[in-house]
Amino acid sequence: MSFIEITQVSKHYGAFQALHDVTLSIRKGEFVTLLGPSGSGKTTLLKVLAGFEPVSSGGILLDGRDITRVPPEKRNFGLVFQGYALFPHMTVQDNIAYPLRVRRRPRAEIEEQVAALLKLVQLERFAGRKPHELSGGQQQRVALARALVFKPDLLLLDEPMSALDKKLRHDLQEELRAIHRTLGTTFINVTHDQEEAMHMSDRIAVMNHGRVEQFDTAHTLYRRPVSRFVAEFVGKSNIFPGQIGRAAGGQVFSGPGFTMPVPDCAQGEALVLLRPEDVEIAERAPTDGRIAVPVMVASSTYSGDRALYTLSPQAGAQILAYGSARSGVHPDGASLFAIFAAENAIVLD
Amino acid sequence: MSRVIFWSTVTFCTAFLALPLLLVWPLAFNTSSFLTYPLEGLTLDWFHQVLTQPTWVNAFLKSLKVALGAMMLALAIGGLAATGVILVPRVLQVVLTGLFLSPIVVPTVVVGVAFAYAFGRAGIGGGYFSLVLAHAVLGAPLVFLSVLTSLRGLDPNLDLAGASMGASRSYRFRTITLPLALPGFAAGAVFAFITSFDEVVVALFLADPGSTTLPIALFAGLRDRLQPSIVVVAVLLSAVSLLFLVLLRRLQMRVAAPKS
Repeated sequence: MSFIEITQVSKHYGAFQALHDVTLSIRKGEFVTLLGPSGSGKTTLLKVLAGFEPVSSGGILLDGRDITRVPPEKRNFGLVFQGYALFPHMTVQDNIAYPLRVRRRPRAEIEEQVAALLKLVQLERFAGRKPHELSGGQQQRVALARALVFKPDLLLLDEPMSALDKKLRHDLQEELRAIHRTLGTTFINVTHDQEEAMHMSDRIAVMNHGRVEQFDTAHTLYRRPVSRFVAEFVGKSNIFPGQIGRAAGGQVFSGPGFTMPVPDCAQGEALVLLRPEDVEIAERAPTDGRIAVPVMVASSTYSGDRALYTLSPQAGAQILAYGSARSGVHPDGASLFAIFAAENAIVLD
Repeated sequence: MSRVIFWSTVTFCTAFLALPLLLVWPLAFNTSSFLTYPLEGLTLDWFHQVLTQPTWVNAFLKSLKVALGAMMLALAIGGLAATGVILVPRVLQVVLTGLFLSPIVVPTVVVGVAFAYAFGRAGIGGGYFSLVLAHAVLGAPLVFLSVLTSLRGLDPNLDLAGASMGASRSYRFRTITLPLALPGFAAGAVFAFITSFDEVVVALFLADPGSTTLPIALFAGLRDRLQPSIVVVAVLLSAVSLLFLVLLRRLQMRVAAPKS
């Protein structure tokens, strides 16, 4: 029962392939984010969805209807552009009324709808202003109202927060989430900001080199990433290279300076992921069977409730760990143990 | 030191450009019927003479009619060309731009001869219609350029935004592109009008006795008899051009203003 079905969509620009067999199915009313670094194909996928770019191969279904070759003006999708693309010669009110005037709705209905949307985005007082008389955040709300006023089947957002400062971004994320809950419209958001993606989305499609690496909830992406790329792009991570081999009592991962048991999986070279909050630090090695690696504090970042430590082990790459900062922060150069449990380690392919 | 250089350069250049005009203008108010200094006294008689003489008034009205006609036609040709060129691929844009600008690259004398010959062969002959046509061809590249510049300055996402909201191409053109490029059209129109209003070379080739424009009348008067009335006409012509320059400046300010 998926609402939008993207099947094996590829897009070539000459010799460059921007999208590589992208397959996604999105449920009605879902808030999905396409997350990836620049050049990962997320914006191209959005343009393909909007109908601005034709696909090279593959297809898109909307509610069972093939829309692959439908032009943008016939798709009934709302779009919020990165730079908002508000019409500079029209007032806020006229901008929001535009899609309704295109549809030749009666005047009374237009007025009613515009008023409702102005209320939704809390801009009633600014109806008569021109876009250049508004702040960035206000312009963004106008763009949102304009894209929603005609009750589109789908709302596409192209990096809608990228031009705003951090505080404002956070408020607008909350607001966008609330609007999504109120309207129940399907939202597809594009961003390179993983925090934004995790705050707002029901599911996130992590994209890299024109492919979807993983499409899942924020929690699954964080706790069960399928690849090194996803593990590193979503949240902070420690990744240990090593070997998986057979030993007495099961399989064992031999990493830099430690060995630990791992569940059954392919033997040979492997990567193991540990999130910084799964690494404890202590002055003494524990006796409960957890793994302890002797380390030295290289640096630390204090953030009130806790501190993020960068630890140098004798072998291998630096280890990130969160430590409680209630009774002070360990000084740089202190000799400590990084402690973690084998069951929190995630073996990557 | 640099300020001395700056001001002396400015003074010199301004003098070089404006001095001939400044020297001629006072002669329009001279009581003497000869174009000589020193001025004998101040009078507005020559203005009165020009404004009451049917030759000058008719020539002025004829010029106005030709310039307005040429402006309209140039606006249509240049405007359409610019809105079309913006839609074609890059390489074709370069080629077409070159073609549309060719009338202002070719020397006016050549254009004049070419038109006289072509209209003669086509049996159109001299007169109002041929003047309008020729001046429109001279004015169209100016309209083309100024419209193209203002279209290039538009955010392409505005058109895409319109499309995403369901607006057809023609609806988008009417409600988004055209209003935003309007200052470009207006500036182009002013250019085309001025170009036609004081154009003399092509007009000399094409005008028949019934379609004497103001520059031609001025030119003829200059050969006939040097009189302050000629200077009066020159002053009036300059005033019209100046008026349009001011208009153009205000239009450009309006183009620059709404960038946010």
